[in-house]
Amino acid sequence: MRIETCYFCSSRIYPGHGIQFVRNDCKIFRFCRSKCHAAFKKKKNPRKVKWTKAYRKTFGKELVVDPSFEFEKRRNVPVKYNRELWTNAIDAIKKVETIRQKRQNLHIMQRLRKGRELEQERDIKEVQRDLSLVRSPAVGLKERRKLEETAEQEEMQDSNDEQEQQEMEVN
Amino acid sequence: MVYKRKKYHRGDTHLKKRWRTKRRTKDLDEINEDLNDKNVEKLLNQEVDLDRPGAGQYYCIHCARYFINDTALNDHFRTKVHKRRLKALELEPYSIEESERAAGKGNYIAPQKRKIDTISRDNYNMNVETDTSSKAKLAKMDA
Repeated sequence: MRIETCYFCSSRIYPGHGIQFVRNDCKIFRFCRSKCHAAFKKKKNPRKVKWTKAYRKTFGKELVVDPSFEFEKRRNVPVKYNRELWTNAIDAIKKVETIRQKRQNLHIMQRLRKGRELEQERDIKEVQRDLSLVRSPAVGLKERRKLEETAEQEEMQDSNDEQEQQEMEVN
Repeated sequence: MVYKRKKYHRGDTHLKKRWRTKRRTKDLDEINEDLNDKNVEKLLNQEVDLDRPGAGQYYCIHCARYFINDTALNDHFRTKVHKRRLKALELEPYSIEESERAAGKGNYIAPQKRKIDTISRDNYNMNVETDTSSKAKLAKMDA
């Protein structure tokens, strides 16, 4: 028994599921469901269809390079049956799976964190730009004007005093 | 009273014929393999086959099509269909191996972009000649 991978969406295909197409160069294309098969028949590119694994990996949505991916892969090397190897492999599968899931989740969370930062920045910018909607620029306008007027008067007085002094000196 | 239409697929045989497996042409990943030097030589110098258009002598590798003569082939090189195909081949096509890598069986390798020029019999032979001549020159230099 073998769990195959779908050509289009890269999901698992359990025995008794899906359909396969054998091309005239003996390559076998396996599909998990009719959705994937139909997409293949329409010559859709899995890299451009958003719900496939290939899309998510090409656009950096998911973890791409990691040593934990090197555990499960087609090696094309015959292995003689050995009970010890088998038990070890079963243990290793569980461990590697937990590690891989942790790393994948971490990758996604880090990606999302970046978005949250950008969102915050955008919000701050927006508030600063449209602050007039939150707090009217006319708040305290009268008081400010009064202050200005008093300041002007003081200046006038000061300048008058100075002029007088200068006149006195000249005399 | 509205009845459900009975014959939905009447008169669409000409459409269906196009999608039959017997009319399938080569996929992009097959053509990608044809672009190897070994296969290029074979495909450009095919034996005379009277069942093929132009006896199999005028073949466009990128579009996997036979043409009846040299002018038809050269005209085809200037068409939009051909240029579109060259563009599509620029990025390495999707394959079964890639689908497995995407599923987490091995690291996922992003497809590489490369430059693709039309390979016709003329420029391919010229390339081979220049290669051999350059090699000959090198041999002379060594001597």
